[in-house]
Amino acid sequence: MDLSLESALNIPGASAEASGNIAGRPLDEWNAAYAKVESYFHALRIRNKVLLGRLVIHVLKRAMRRAPQESHRSATELAAEEMDQVVTEWFGQVLQEPPVGTDHMLSTRGRLALLLADMPGKWQDQFLHPPPWPEEFIKAMREAYLRAGPDFQLAKMAPRPLDLGPIATLSNLSMLPFRKMIFVWVVLTLLFIALFVVTHNSEQNHHLLNEFLSRLEGIFH
Amino acid sequence: MPGPATEPSSHAGLQPGTAFYSRRTIRRWLRLFVFYSLVMLLTGAVSVLFADLLWRSGWTGSSTVLLVLFVILFGLIAIGCMHGIFGFVLRTFGDPDRITRFGNYKEQSIAGVSVAIVFPTYNEGVARVMEGLRTTYASLEQTGQIERFDFFILSDSTDPAKWVEEEQRWCELVRELDALGRIYYRRRISNEGKKSGNVRDFLSTWGRRYRYFIVFDADSVMRGETIVDLVKLMEVHPQVGLIQTVPALVNAESLFGRIQQFANRLYAPVFIAGLNFWAQGFGNYWGHNAIIRTDPFMQYCDLPHLPGRKPFGGQILSHDFVEAALLVKENWQVWFAYDLEGSYEEIPQDMISNAQRDRRWCQGNLQHSLVLFGRGMRGISRIHFLMGIFGYLASPLWLLFLITFNWALWNFKRSELSVITVRGLTTPFLKLSGMEHAFLIFVICMAVLFLPKILALIDLAFDRKRRQAFGGLQRATVSAVMETFFSSLHAPLQMLWHSKFVVTILMGIGVSWGPQKRSADGITWTEAIRRHWGQTLLGILWGAAVWKLDHPTFYWFLPVLAGMLIAIPLSVFTSRMSLGSRARSLGLFLTPEETSPPSELDTLRVRMALLEKTEAPQPANAIIAEAVLDPYVNAIHVSLLREKQLNPEYRDALIKLGVGRPEVRELAEKLLGQGPEALTTAEKVLVLSDADVVPWLHRQAWIRPSKALAGWWQTAIRKYAR
Repeated sequence: MDLSLESALNIPGASAEASGNIAGRPLDEWNAAYAKVESYFHALRIRNKVLLGRLVIHVLKRAMRRAPQESHRSATELAAEEMDQVVTEWFGQVLQEPPVGTDHMLSTRGRLALLLADMPGKWQDQFLHPPPWPEEFIKAMREAYLRAGPDFQLAKMAPRPLDLGPIATLSNLSMLPFRKMIFVWVVLTLLFIALFVVTHNSEQNHHLLNEFLSRLEGIFH
Repeated sequence: MPGPATEPSSHAGLQPGTAFYSRRTIRRWLRLFVFYSLVMLLTGAVSVLFADLLWRSGWTGSSTVLLVLFVILFGLIAIGCMHGIFGFVLRTFGDPDRITRFGNYKEQSIAGVSVAIVFPTYNEGVARVMEGLRTTYASLEQTGQIERFDFFILSDSTDPAKWVEEEQRWCELVRELDALGRIYYRRRISNEGKKSGNVRDFLSTWGRRYRYFIVFDADSVMRGETIVDLVKLMEVHPQVGLIQTVPALVNAESLFGRIQQFANRLYAPVFIAGLNFWAQGFGNYWGHNAIIRTDPFMQYCDLPHLPGRKPFGGQILSHDFVEAALLVKENWQVWFAYDLEGSYEEIPQDMISNAQRDRRWCQGNLQHSLVLFGRGMRGISRIHFLMGIFGYLASPLWLLFLITFNWALWNFKRSELSVITVRGLTTPFLKLSGMEHAFLIFVICMAVLFLPKILALIDLAFDRKRRQAFGGLQRATVSAVMETFFSSLHAPLQMLWHSKFVVTILMGIGVSWGPQKRSADGITWTEAIRRHWGQTLLGILWGAAVWKLDHPTFYWFLPVLAGMLIAIPLSVFTSRMSLGSRARSLGLFLTPEETSPPSELDTLRVRMALLEKTEAPQPANAIIAEAVLDPYVNAIHVSLLREKQLNPEYRDALIKLGVGRPEVRELAEKLLGQGPEALTTAEKVLVLSDADVVPWLHRQAWIRPSKALAGWWQTAIRKYAR
């Protein structure tokens, strides 16, 4: 793959072309194709403008070679296909996996490897560059693997049934280890209730209460 | 990476699986007896006083209803008061019976221990979850023990945008922290069983690798040292199944949030010390910021579905209480480590969000009424259940009490009798008129209600360091008074909300809240009107009715009515960040985490502020565009989908979902041809779940001619151009 600047400027068939056309297509069409390819490389975080320009031209040159034979297809379509092919082929070379047709697996692995090897930060100049590549770069690319979880250690959790039956509960309540406490509390409650009932409930009690209260008053005074 | 879990280290002490009737057990029973006997004594005495008042004014049918309700409601506030009193005494004179005082855990080695820290998340703010994790990770790294821990983001997100964002941010985080193979991400295919199902799924897949796991909430943060301390405590006490920390509320900015945060930080230590007094090793689990021994949890805590239909039947919603009860049932101890600092969580920033959260908890807690009578459950677990149930049931009971009182008043007025109070039980001692008698009961109720707050302030006064952390005693006192004033306005609204929740839940009616409309500074006026108009109207009508019945009673009712009448402005103003900030600058509602922020919280705050500044809110479906168009986001997503297929359960779930069928490719075509708006959320999830379709979409979106793509995609692609 030739990525030299001179080569990038040497557009096939440009000299023999009528003004306003390249490879039989209007300049505007190539402009749109340029924008599409450039957008993809932007998406891959190729920030260096010189590198970016060269990569785009490299892809466009390949598209231009195809253009005369595939006159029914737009320049953008051809460029996009070439872009996909160039990138996938390069992934195949770097990762030592030959591309098979439109190999999504390879493309995905390659893109992930670019990210994990920090191509945008450290290795922009190596992207789509022909071999040889620096050892460190190859190692980073080939060993890149996104591990989302450790090895499975599958186990089956089985819910245990809960016995919610009220009858069972009643019998269970009587078995409570601190039933004595509950007994004391029940007695306390009954005492309060009894105190109130005894002092308020009937005429006779009322009379008794009044008598009792009067005596108490007497004691206090 | 930690190795697989080994057997718990053996230590002197009681072994799990057998009941422990030691001296400590007897002491615990004695504590329980003393605590609740005092509650009963207080409740009984004041209830007799109240019954006497009712009798003096002439006993009617409504008097019986009032008395029954009074006993229950006073009993509840008496429990709160006792927690305050016992907590205060323990904090003043020292509490030897707490988990951190049993043995010297600090010297315990945790070499060879494997711990998982799990962050279950469900459509939460992704940036906040990741930053919380980053903070905890960094703090743990500083302890030098990071190699003992693995982190898991356990996503249950159903929103495809959240899903993709989680993956993207997880990958960024892992790369930034160089933590590949230490921080993991997993999203379930279906969120069956909600949070408990999410954790169960984790345990079924990886649980056996870890001796302990620590559960975080989406907004939790914990200090590394605290996490290590928890692991050491578990190692020292092999009979302990779970240790729950008491998370401090932090990072609130609105006035409402800061008031709640202040109340939590000032009162909670006293209350929890009181709670620990009687709960001891039979504590509770609050669902997060707790360490759990994996083995018994896996063995005993897979929750069954409850029989019957919703709201009580089906999945156990508030799983945490039940899980703690099941551990206790099997003789595993559950403790509150209430004196361990460095455990944090956040709170809703306004009254409406707070009520929304309560709605979720309310159903779960009411559901506990079924489990309450479960065979074999420990008595103390039943008390925890009861307290949870009455946390919500108390509101309709209060409402019923007030309505009954009004009904009695109306009956009395209709009878045109004059008020003649006869002599009663208390007459010889106190010589009170009917009005004075009523006032005495009111004063006692207020004292019981506010005593814990006063004790918390006295507790603060005794502790110089803590006093300074609250901005000084004077500021803390003023803040406590203002907090009490706000609480009294907020309480009637809570009462109405909770009553509505209880009634709708019992009737099986779902309440849809819909998304909340907030401005940058808080709740908007239109939103507040929409949410509170009913409460305000009720306040006006109720107030008018009481005024018509009896003018003096109206003034007694004013504290209850005031909250309803000003509900709308109260909701708006307390949600304001600017007022929260103003109060802070005045030194009001300060908390220790505000006056001297721990480094973890400081880092989190700075990073979140930075993210808010640098990251503009994304338009709808923007993240779908990224999942398809961005070469890296797409690659991460596909890679995770492929890894997911290695788990046989997920593979089956994906097939069940429809992945691999020709319809998915058709949906993908529709997505390209008509844009994401043409697909439902479920369809987007299906397309994004197909590991073959997603990379195909990426390629097609980039190589297809513009005319074969929806205009939406062309716009999205243009965003990558400069």
